[in-house]
Amino acid sequence: MRQLHEFSTPIDAGLYLPTQCKITQVRQLTPLEKWFEIEMPNGAELGHTPGQFVEVSLLGVGEAPISVSSSPTQKGRFEICVRNVGMLTSVIQKYQVGDAIGIRGPYGHGYDLDDFRGKDVLIVAGGIGIIPLRSLINYILDCRSEFGKLTILYGAKSPADLLFKDEHSRWRDGENLDFRCTVDHGDSTWESNTGVITTLIPDLELDLKNTAVAITGPPIMYKFVVMALKSKHLPDQQIFLSLERRMKCGVGKCGHCQINGKYCCQDGPVFCLTEIRKLEEAL
Amino acid sequence: MECYHLPHQTIPLLIDHLMTLATVIAPHAKGEKSFTYAPVAHSRDVVLEYNRTLLSLKKFFLPPVEQLLSYSIRNQTVSETVAEPVERIFFAVHSYEMQAILRLDHNMLEGHPEKNYITRRTGARFIGISFEPDEFHFSRSVGIRVEEMGGFDLFLNKVGEDYHLFVITDAGEKMLTGFQELAPVKSAGMFERHFKNKIKYHYNRLPEVLDHVYQSEVWQKVAGRCVGCGACNLTCPTCYCFDVMDTLDLSVQSGERSRRWDGCLLTPFAEVAGGENFRDKFSQRLRHRIYRKFKYITDSESTPWCTGCGRCTAYCPAGISITEIINDLIIDFQQQQYAKTNVKTTMTESGI
Repeated sequence: MRQLHEFSTPIDAGLYLPTQCKITQVRQLTPLEKWFEIEMPNGAELGHTPGQFVEVSLLGVGEAPISVSSSPTQKGRFEICVRNVGMLTSVIQKYQVGDAIGIRGPYGHGYDLDDFRGKDVLIVAGGIGIIPLRSLINYILDCRSEFGKLTILYGAKSPADLLFKDEHSRWRDGENLDFRCTVDHGDSTWESNTGVITTLIPDLELDLKNTAVAITGPPIMYKFVVMALKSKHLPDQQIFLSLERRMKCGVGKCGHCQINGKYCCQDGPVFCLTEIRKLEEAL
Repeated sequence: MECYHLPHQTIPLLIDHLMTLATVIAPHAKGEKSFTYAPVAHSRDVVLEYNRTLLSLKKFFLPPVEQLLSYSIRNQTVSETVAEPVERIFFAVHSYEMQAILRLDHNMLEGHPEKNYITRRTGARFIGISFEPDEFHFSRSVGIRVEEMGGFDLFLNKVGEDYHLFVITDAGEKMLTGFQELAPVKSAGMFERHFKNKIKYHYNRLPEVLDHVYQSEVWQKVAGRCVGCGACNLTCPTCYCFDVMDTLDLSVQSGERSRRWDGCLLTPFAEVAGGENFRDKFSQRLRHRIYRKFKYITDSESTPWCTGCGRCTAYCPAGISITEIINDLIIDFQQQQYAKTNVKTTMTESGI
């Protein structure tokens, strides 16, 4: 335990002070999900890595942790996409182009791109898990030569719930790309897979030694996806999961996001499966 | 270390002297049985012999409600609330309390240091005092003697009716400049005070115990009595978790963002938007708190994060005792170990 005078870390100016940014574009992707493009003041860059999040701060409402959805290769502006599920996320649905929006961050430990470079990449996205994973997907596509085959498994409740439909062709069409979609309940026009996302895994041909996996989805999904991957004998150290918790302050102080002894907002939200095995509360 | 003899009747004079230097905060009686730390108005009001205050000293460094930001909605401008530097002397503080402050330092300064905490903390001086452990104190079991002087500038050890005043830091010595009532003591003996409340194992072994009792039935058993009020969190001197909320004024033109003490024993603590609660059972929340105090931070800092003040037990409306939980877990651990050796012996005997 260090003494007070031994702490020499520079003190963050404004640990809880949001930067007032501007919304430059909005798009209602589904009745529940709205997409925002955001510009920092004075041309500043957010400077995030895929998998990191920001605290979105609305004056008079509060703050909520929201994943960054754009790739770091996109300069000037960054993107978030918000599902209307809570207090802040319902208020933000009314925000329009030109409105001010507070941002703190980026926070947390995202995907370490060195774990993915030179490897085949398997993305497993359930529901709005596609929002943070889109940052990684588009990074890989923008730096295509640095990565091997890119396989994307994307599951949603229904065809109407699928997000970023206009980008799917970019994710699907091209060399070394494999994009597979499934929905729980199809409609009359749906010609692709139906069923939970784990049904897509047995058919995959994976280069076991050279594949890194990124998984994000609802809490219930992780156990089953991990089980399906393990039955294909994929090593733990090549599997990375992004966990959801109540990351209220984002800076490892408020305590809400603890997973056993770890702070999801600092040590995560992206964890390697080897680390998760030691955390009984994780999955 | 210099030491002075201080007759008990001179203590108010010492407090008067300290009051000329800075605001003095000391224990006061509150009602018939309770005590509280409060700024001293009259030195005669200060209580020297008390078991514990309801709230710990953390309220002066991490206020129960603290403004973080103020803002104007109309102009969309935000400003950070900056704590004013303040010189305070905390008088008649028990050793477990001081040790708790040193642990809070770690939590507030590691990673992202908090500016306002540092401001409040650097303006603080501490004068310790010995106490007679009651049925709830167990600080000795977590490695903190009554006479532990770490963190203090001065320390008062009660000897008979009077006190021995130990000078620990330069700042402590400086505080005594101009105070006339001091007679040097040549050999100040220390005697160890007896604790009735104890943990059965040395605290160094507790992380190992907790490695084996995550699924213990003890959690369920205690959870059956827990009412989830969070009193243990609020009175704990090393609990620092908080919630953040925005409050608007009536005109809805301006407002503030503030934080408020929160507790991991409260049901919605780990709940996220959409309703998923990652610790929705009493037993999970109780276990989390015990692991926070004896395992998680302890693994990296090699010291328990509980300082043995006994507040969580003394103020628990359901009568749950933290030492009882730990001692029950130790029994569980011992039985597991015994079962293991028994299996081994049986196997050896039957030649397996």
